Amino acid sequence: MTEKVGPKSFPSPIGESVPRIDALPKVTGEAKFTDDIQFGADLLYGRIVRSPHPHARIKRLDVSKALALPGVKAVVTGEDCKDRFGLYLKDRYTFCKERVRYVGDPVAGVVATSENLAEEASRLVEVEYEVLEPVLDPVAGVQKDSPLLHPQLKDYTVASFIYPKHGTNISNHFKLRKGDVEKAWSECSVIVEREYRVPHVQHTPIEPHITVAKQDRSGQITLWASSQSPFAQRDLIAASLGMSPRDVRVISPFVGGGFGSKAGVSMEALAVIMAQKVPGHPVKVRLTREEEFYCAFVRQGLVAKIKVGADAHGKLVAMKTEYYWDAGAYTEYGVNITRAAGYSCTGPYDVPNVWTDSYCVYTNHPVGGPMRGFGMPEIHWGIEQTMDQLAEELGMDKLEFRLKNCLREGSITATGSAIHPIGVAECAAKAAEAIDWGEKESSSAPHKLRGKGLAIMWKAPAMPPNAGSSALIRFNEDATVSVGIGGQELGQGAHTIAAQIAAASLGVPMDWIRISGPIDTQYSPYEWQTVASRITWSMGNAIIDAAKDARRQIFDLVAQQWEETPADLDIRDGQVISYKSERSEPLENLVVYGLPKEDDSGWRGGPIIGRGSFMPDYVSALDPETGQGPRAVVHFTAGCQAVDLEVDTETGKIELLRVVSAFDVGKAINPDQVRAQMEGGVVQGASTTLLEQLRLDEGFPINASFTDYRIASTMDMPGENISIIVEVPQDDGPWGARGIGEHSMVPTAPAIANALADAAGLRILDLPLSAERVFNALREKEGMP
Amino acid sequence: MKSVRPGLPEFDYIRAETIEQVSELLKNGKPSRLLMGGTDVFVQMRDGAFSPAILVDVKHLPGMQSIQKTGNKGLRIGAAVDLNTLAGHPEVVKSFPLLAEAAQSVASYQLRSRATMGGNLCNASPAADTAPAALVLEAILVAQGSNGERRIPAHDFFTGPGQNALQDGEILTSIEIPPPPKGPVGRYLKLGRNAEGDLAIVGVAVLGYADKTSESGFRFRMALSSVAPTPIRVPTAEDILESRTIGDETISAAAQAARKTAKPIDDVRASAGYRSAMVEVHARRALHAVWTALGREA
Repeated sequence: MTEKVGPKSFPSPIGESVPRIDALPKVTGEAKFTDDIQFGADLLYGRIVRSPHPHARIKRLDVSKALALPGVKAVVTGEDCKDRFGLYLKDRYTFCKERVRYVGDPVAGVVATSENLAEEASRLVEVEYEVLEPVLDPVAGVQKDSPLLHPQLKDYTVASFIYPKHGTNISNHFKLRKGDVEKAWSECSVIVEREYRVPHVQHTPIEPHITVAKQDRSGQITLWASSQSPFAQRDLIAASLGMSPRDVRVISPFVGGGFGSKAGVSMEALAVIMAQKVPGHPVKVRLTREEEFYCAFVRQGLVAKIKVGADAHGKLVAMKTEYYWDAGAYTEYGVNITRAAGYSCTGPYDVPNVWTDSYCVYTNHPVGGPMRGFGMPEIHWGIEQTMDQLAEELGMDKLEFRLKNCLREGSITATGSAIHPIGVAECAAKAAEAIDWGEKESSSAPHKLRGKGLAIMWKAPAMPPNAGSSALIRFNEDATVSVGIGGQELGQGAHTIAAQIAAASLGVPMDWIRISGPIDTQYSPYEWQTVASRITWSMGNAIIDAAKDARRQIFDLVAQQWEETPADLDIRDGQVISYKSERSEPLENLVVYGLPKEDDSGWRGGPIIGRGSFMPDYVSALDPETGQGPRAVVHFTAGCQAVDLEVDTETGKIELLRVVSAFDVGKAINPDQVRAQMEGGVVQGASTTLLEQLRLDEGFPINASFTDYRIASTMDMPGENISIIVEVPQDDGPWGARGIGEHSMVPTAPAIANALADAAGLRILDLPLSAERVFNALREKEGMP
Repeated sequence: MKSVRPGLPEFDYIRAETIEQVSELLKNGKPSRLLMGGTDVFVQMRDGAFSPAILVDVKHLPGMQSIQKTGNKGLRIGAAVDLNTLAGHPEVVKSFPLLAEAAQSVASYQLRSRATMGGNLCNASPAADTAPAALVLEAILVAQGSNGERRIPAHDFFTGPGQNALQDGEILTSIEIPPPPKGPVGRYLKLGRNAEGDLAIVGVAVLGYADKTSESGFRFRMALSSVAPTPIRVPTAEDILESRTIGDETISAAAQAARKTAKPIDDVRASAGYRSAMVEVHARRALHAVWTALGREA
C-alpha cells in the first residue's frame, strides 16, 4: 500500500489534515451567499404577517388595504395553499388557514417592490382573531382536558414508524419495552429517580434564513435558498403544491451555518407561495435576526422523568424513562426526535430491563425541529446526571461505574440488537486520563470551588431507513475531476472531506479534484439531507462507489487496449498502471478522448463518467409496542467529555478551566477537521449549558435578539480545549469513518453539571446553569433565603 | 412583543458643520434626531421606537472628536470621541484609567469603534457603562444651545431611564473631567452574563484617594449602573468609608450600604434579587481592589 508509483510521490490524503477547500473564497469574501446573488430589476420582496397570539382562530382576514398600497404586487394567505406539508407528518400549511398555533405563525405574505414597502403593507393587513386557550407545557398538554391543537390529526399523512394518538396533542408516542422493569426494581440495591427540564434554544447561525423563489412562465419553480436540504425541500414543496419534483429546482450556494435549522422546510415554502402570484419575478424573503429566534425551527424543550437502578455490585439493572417533548405548534420533523430519543434512551449503557415512553407533544410554542444532536443533548442531560448520582449512592468512582456499565462490542442495546465495535470505554478512559481524573485540584481563590466531572454519550444518525446518497465523477480533458455531490457545505468541512475521498478512491492527486457547486437539484446528484452527521459516511460511500464505477470503465478500456485483464490494473497518482506488464499511461491521455486502436482503424472508449450511490439496506422496522427490532439504526458514534471547572460562590459564575473531548470517529479522514468539530461542539455545548434559553412567557418570546439572548463568544472559551481522536473502525464507513458533527455538544451539559456537583456538592436539574440559577442553588444549599 | 422592521425607515441625513445650524434644524419643526455613533439610534429606529425625518450628524462639529488637556491636569473629551479612542488615549490611560476601563467594558470592539462617550451618556440608559465613571470623576457635561453654553454636573444629568437634563435645542459637545485628586485609584467592575458584549447586570465604579482631612484618612466615591432608574452615586457608602477605619469590616459595611441604595428591577438579564446581591459582592470587590492598590502606594 505504501508503494510509490510514477514520477511524483503519492501520499493518500486520507488521514491527512488537508486545508479546507472553501477557506480561500470565505476569507477573501469571494464566496457568494444567497443574499449576494443579484437578480436585477425584476426582483420583488416579501414580508410575512405573523400571528401575535400563541393560539387563536382567524375570524376575519382583510388584505384590501395592503393590496391597495402602490408598489404592492400581491398578498397571499392560507387560501393560496393547497396541501399540508411535512417531513414525517404532514401537519402544517405554509400559511395558516383557520387557526394560528404560535406567536409568529404565518398568516399572510405581502409582495412589494421593496422590503420596507412590503413591511409597511404587511401592517395594513387586518386580521381579527378569537383567542384560544394555549398549551404551554408538554406535561399539561397530554392531559385529557387540555385544549387540542390539531383536531384533524387523524387525517394527516404520516411515516410508517411514527405513531400519532388521535384526539390528543400527542403526535408521536414511541414505546420501548425490554425485559421486565417492574420485576427488576426488586433486584436493585440503589435506585435514583429524577425529573429534568431542558428549555428551548436557538441554533443562531450567523446567516439568517433566506429564500428567493421564482416561478417562470413554463410553471417551473426555482428557489435560491440557504439550505441543508435542497432535495428534501424540492420534494416536500412540490408535494405541497401538487407538483412534480421535476418542476421545482433548488439552488443552494454557500451556507452561513445551519446546525439543523436549515434542514427540512421551514420558511422556504413561504417564498414559493408568494412567487406563484407574480410569475417571472423572483421574490426574496429573509428573516430578520429577531424572526430567526422564533419563526424558524427551535430546539424543542424537554421534561424528562428518569428512574435507574443498579445492583449491589454496581451493575445497571433497570431503567424507566418518560420524555415529554415540548415540540411546538407543528411537529412534522420533531416527531422523529421523539423517536430517536426513545431508542437511544439508555445512553451508551448496557441495561437489561428498559421501559420508555417518549411523547411528542403539540404546544403553542415555536416549531421544534432538528438541532445539532437531534434530541441527544437533551436526553443525556438527564441520563448522565442520573448515572453520576447512582454512582455516588453506590459509593463508586464515577469513571469506574461507567467503565463497568458502558456498551462493549456485542452488548445488547435497548432495542434488542447487538452493538457493533464501539469505543465508549476507550473514550472515557482517555478523557479521564487527560483531565487527571481522581486528582483534586486546588481552587484559585477562597470564594471559588473547583471540581471535575465527565459524561459519556452515543448518537446514531436519525433518519428514514432508506436515506440515500449519490455522486457523479466526471473527468475533464486533462484528467482533473469534477465531483458532483448533493451534500452541502455548511461550514462543517463536508466538501473538503468529499474531495479527499474522491482523490483517494480514484487514485489521483488531491489538487485534481474540484467539487461541483453550488448544489443545484437540477444538476447535482441526489442527497437526502445534510443532517444527522451522516455525510462523511453516506456521501463518502457514494463517492467511493462512483470512483469504482469510473475506474471500472477505465480498466475495461485499458485492458482491451493492452490486451490485459482489468484485475491487473490500478490507478496511482493519476496514471493507469499494470502490475503485470508494468506499463503505465497518464489518465489525461484517455479519460475524455479515449485511445486510438493499434491498427488506426478508429478509437475506443470515450468520456468517463462514474456514477455511485449508497443507501443502507439493513435498517429494520421496530415493533410499535416494544420498540424491539433486529437493527434500529445504521450505527452509533460514541464519546466522552471531561470538565475541570471553578464556580464563584459569590456570583454563581462557572468558569471552564479545561474541557477534554474524546470521540470514536472510526477513522479521522481529516484529523484537524475532526478536532475542530470537537472544539466547536464544546463551545456550543457550553453556551447552551451556561447561557442559552429562548424565554417564552405565556407563549411569547421575550428575548428574541442577540442583546437579550446571549451566546458564548471567543472570550467565553474554556482555558484549555483538548481533543482526542479514537478510531474503532465502522464496518461500512469510508476507511472506517463515522460522523462527528453533532456528537461533540451532546455530553457537554451533563459533564459541566457533574463537575459542578463535584465542586459544590449540589445538583441542578434544569438548564441553563446560569450564574443566577447556580447562585440561588448555592444559597439554598447553605440554607439562606 | 415588539415588531421589528427589516430595515431602517427613510430619513434625510444632514452633516452639521456649526452649532447654529444644529439649533436651526432642531427648531424647524420636522421630527429630527441627533446622530453620534448610531449604535443606539439606528437600532431604536429599526425597532420603530421613533422615525425621524432628519438625522442630524453632530460628530463633525468643531472639537467633537478631540481630547485635550485642560489647564490643571483635567481633560476635555469631545462628546463624539469613540470609545476605542477614549480607552486607548495616552492621557486617559495615564490620568483616568478608570474611564479607560469603563469605556473598554462597553459592548464589543467593533461597536466601540462607532459608539461615543457622549452618546453613551445622552442615551441615559441605567446600564450605561461610562456613566458610573463620569459620576465618580465628577465630570461636567458641557451643553451648547441657542442660549449659549451650559455646564451640567454629571450627578444632575441623568433624570430618568432614557431621560437626560438637556433642553430642547441643546446638544452635548464635551465632557470635562476635572483634575483628579492626588494619588487616585479607580476600578470599574461589570457583571454581564457572558465575558464580553453583554449589557451590565450590575456595574460598580469606585475611586479612592488618600485625604488627611477625612476621619479615615481616605475618601472614596462610588457609583452604580443597572440597578436603579438612572446611574447613581452611593453617598451612604462613601460616608462610611470616610468616617471609619478602613478594613474588611468597613468595606463590607459600605458594600451593604450600596446594596441598600440600589433599587433594581427584574428584567430579562437578571432578577432584582440577584442584582441586589451582586451589588454588594461587586461593591466589596471593587473597594477591596482599590483599597489594596492604595495600600501598596501608601
